[in-house]
Amino acid sequence: MIDIENISKWYGDFQVLTDCTTQVAKGEVVVVCGPSGSGKSTLIKCVNGLEPVQQGRISVDGDDVTAKGANLTALRSRIGMVFQHFELYPHMSVLENLCLAQEKVLKRPRAEAVTRAEKLLDRVGMADHAAKFPSQLSGGQQQRIAIARSLAMDPIAMLFDEPTSALDPEMIKEVLDVMVELAQEGMTMMVVTHEMGFARKVADRVIFMDNGAIVEDRQTAAFFDNPESERAQDFLSKILDH
Amino acid sequence: MNYNWNWGVLFEEQYLNWLISGFGWTISVALSAWCIAIVIGSLVGVGKTVPNKVIRGICATYVEIFRNVPLLVQMFIWYFAVPEMLPEDWGRWMKRDLPNPEFVTAVVALGLYTASRIAEQVRAGIETVPPGLSAAATAHGLSTAQTYRYVLLPISFRIIVPPLTSEFLTVFKNSSLALTIGLLELTAQSQQIAEYTFQGFEAFTAATVIYVCIALVATILMQVLEKYTRIPGYVGKEA
Repeated sequence: MIDIENISKWYGDFQVLTDCTTQVAKGEVVVVCGPSGSGKSTLIKCVNGLEPVQQGRISVDGDDVTAKGANLTALRSRIGMVFQHFELYPHMSVLENLCLAQEKVLKRPRAEAVTRAEKLLDRVGMADHAAKFPSQLSGGQQQRIAIARSLAMDPIAMLFDEPTSALDPEMIKEVLDVMVELAQEGMTMMVVTHEMGFARKVADRVIFMDNGAIVEDRQTAAFFDNPESERAQDFLSKILDH
Repeated sequence: MNYNWNWGVLFEEQYLNWLISGFGWTISVALSAWCIAIVIGSLVGVGKTVPNKVIRGICATYVEIFRNVPLLVQMFIWYFAVPEMLPEDWGRWMKRDLPNPEFVTAVVALGLYTASRIAEQVRAGIETVPPGLSAAATAHGLSTAQTYRYVLLPISFRIIVPPLTSEFLTVFKNSSLALTIGLLELTAQSQQIAEYTFQGFEAFTAATVIYVCIALVATILMQVLEKYTRIPGYVGKEA
């Protein structure tokens, strides 16, 4: 469903992505990990065109994201994205956060958007908080709402950019639980995360990146039990031991 | 000092009418100019933040010109120079047929000048919104225009209410410069009363008190606005 072919990207003279190629099939869950600055976040931001690439081609469900004049707004509305810092609209109630893009982008009637929003809030366990504002909620609650906000658009795939990195430890689980459930329901997901427990549990594949390049791209069990590259072995030994 | 105080002149019918009329012109000039300034200032402020370089350049030029030339000079240019620079027919129309020329000129000059200052505040407000928010709006399929309309502007206007309050007060005070092109607003009327009665202290005290009252009302209005539009728990202290 997501096809990334030989993409390279530069910020000025600095190359952030080097010839990355991978695919994500429908219903597949792929975890992207690697040291900071390795280009993981940049890679998934290229998938919905938030970051342009200078070389290579990305297509999602057959639509070319990297083509000149691609209808990015239509495409983006079909790909959900969850950010490290939630990015809920602070001036809107939780309910309005979920309704805005439904009404303005998908042109859903108000009543339908509200019904859909309430159903999703209930699903992520936030039904009682619909009238609150984001800043009145904990990080974990905000992130669950951010996930619900993306799901309200009925996405064909979901991108997660370090969804638990800004959370207090005791809130990580409530967010991961929602994500695990989503994965088990067959959602196509690309997840940048350091949560290796999550990766082991639900990921079909793990991509390991270093210095802007994909170093390993393997089945989850094979990646954890028998990483090929020295860089990945080193990375795993450091983050699994603590 | 030998000065004959006579507060009574202020309440003589003729002079009281002058003060009331001056007050009326001050309010009219300031509020009309404020409307122009908010509309143009918002457009130019937004224009300074859009991705398109040409639009950004035009808006930056506008701000630099109108913000850096003294308001008094701008008043003179609009009143004395612009009619001469325009095609002859237009210039003649401005000098002869334009209704209330002093008022219109003062509103235009003050409005366009204040717009350049508001534009900078709008720009600063937009730049204060965390970039992740517009990325989120974009990621959900909102167009650039929709992102401004529903996310960036509602947040940035709330952020800039306090500096806009100062600007709102300044527009009333700056409106006094309209006396230089012959508009009989509050300061001009006070000066006229002083000349007719030789009671300068009383006349300018009256003007001072009226300006302060206008400022107090304006401040209260903006505080109500600030309180009403506050985002719970987001910026500023809870009232």
